[in-house]
Amino acid sequence: MKRLLLLWIPLLFLLYCEDAKYSLDNPFDPENIDLRPPALFFHPPEILTTIDTSIAIELYGLELEPAAAAHLDIRYDWGSVTVDSVIPGPFFSGQNNPMEITVDEQGVLDIYLYYLPDIQSNQSEGGTWSLATVYLSTISTGESELLYGVNTILRDANNDSVRIKDFGKGYISDE
Amino acid sequence: MMLMIRGIIILHLVSVCIAANTTKKISFETGNKLAVLRFEGDGVSDPLIEHLTEELRQSIRDLKIFNVQNRDITNDIHIFYPRGKDYWACWNKECAVDIGRQLRVNFVIAGNIQKKENNEFFINGRLFSVDMEMMMNEFAMNSSGITDSLLLEMKKMAFNVSGLPIPDTLLVDSDTTGTNVTENIKRKSKFNLPDFPKIPTKIKALMMSTAIPGSGQIWVEKKYPGYGFLGTEATLGLAALITYYKYNGAWSGFEKNYNAYQDGTDPHDLYELRSKIVKYAEDTRRYNIFMKNIRGVAASIWIVNMVHAYLVAPADDYFDGESFFDIEYRPDINQFQFNYNF
Repeated sequence: MKRLLLLWIPLLFLLYCEDAKYSLDNPFDPENIDLRPPALFFHPPEILTTIDTSIAIELYGLELEPAAAAHLDIRYDWGSVTVDSVIPGPFFSGQNNPMEITVDEQGVLDIYLYYLPDIQSNQSEGGTWSLATVYLSTISTGESELLYGVNTILRDANNDSVRIKDFGKGYISDE
Repeated sequence: MMLMIRGIIILHLVSVCIAANTTKKISFETGNKLAVLRFEGDGVSDPLIEHLTEELRQSIRDLKIFNVQNRDITNDIHIFYPRGKDYWACWNKECAVDIGRQLRVNFVIAGNIQKKENNEFFINGRLFSVDMEMMMNEFAMNSSGITDSLLLEMKKMAFNVSGLPIPDTLLVDSDTTGTNVTENIKRKSKFNLPDFPKIPTKIKALMMSTAIPGSGQIWVEKKYPGYGFLGTEATLGLAALITYYKYNGAWSGFEKNYNAYQDGTDPHDLYELRSKIVKYAEDTRRYNIFMKNIRGVAASIWIVNMVHAYLVAPADDYFDGESFFDIEYRPDINQFQFNYNF
């Protein structure tokens, strides 16, 4: 029996293993969006839809530093889409849910998000997370663009500005 | 003048007196070399068999008729014995002569001790001439009782083998019988297999070590190198196995995360998956390289083990220059020479 067991020794050296080959080319991978972090971008960056359809688009932060509040100035084509609602994302979620204020005025959507401090922290940890999800409805055909306005800003717990190097764009195509 | 004659006579008388007290040692030593193979035992313990065989060796050695080969040298050739445990393992002429040639002796003694009922032992021995390739004599003795009696019988056998008369002091309660020569006692075989051509020892050792490293060396009684090769390869095999399991774990992690990455749409998830994929891929590559290195080292040691098994295995005289191949050292050109012949 022991001799039979010894016969397995040569087989151990015949174990074939292939090297892991991979291609990290997922178009939704933030690394493939061609933005310099820290950055803000729309996810998905392009939406192909039809008229009178509700769509959801996430306002995403890429490798953001810790922040306590944000003013997201979103510019959209108010002849093509209307804003239905805004829901805060996980970026400002701690033990408490974040506070959110939305002001929508003819193509300019101002979203104010605040981290509600708890015993452990008074700001978010930062990273790559969704800041908020905006629900839109298409009202006419054609292409429209989504942009981050110049008033977009993030601040940390000390009320210092959080650096953002790059901003992404979004496209909505109504057919 | 008379004084001189008296002196000469006295000198002669003194010489005679001195000579009367001097014993001249006469040696019958023939210069023939003799190997006593380990006796086979039936119903007798191994240590006792070893002891009795050694007693026979020592007794023959003391009689100084033969140059008896040392036990260690004789046992080196243990590999040439048939492997079965059934007794009379090397009982026929061919086997004994073969072994005698390997041991480079002129005579070989093979024998067995069987235990009968009522503590009665039957000792059988054969003297083979290697040079003449024939059995010279066969001895059979009965002994009853204790180990001392067996030792006595072995001493008697030593006298028989040496061709000397057994002294009276040993002839108490003895039953020594010279028996007729029986040439063709075959070994008991469990299976009726056809007779395959004999494989040269070197080739057999090489084949064994090729299949299981170290086994050839162990077979030719080079146990330490054999266990060394076996242990080294086993250790490397174990290391390869452990690495393979680790590789397998890393590969599973890689596949799971890579599939999730390819199907995923959430940037946060993709962002985290990316780093995991890179880490797992790196791990699989690392383990793979390690396994390849182990394979390389193991293969090298394996080859060395095969060559070593071939070199340390004793050469069979009947194969030298007749078939297969051989490596020999030629002192005239100070080189190893590779010979083959089919």
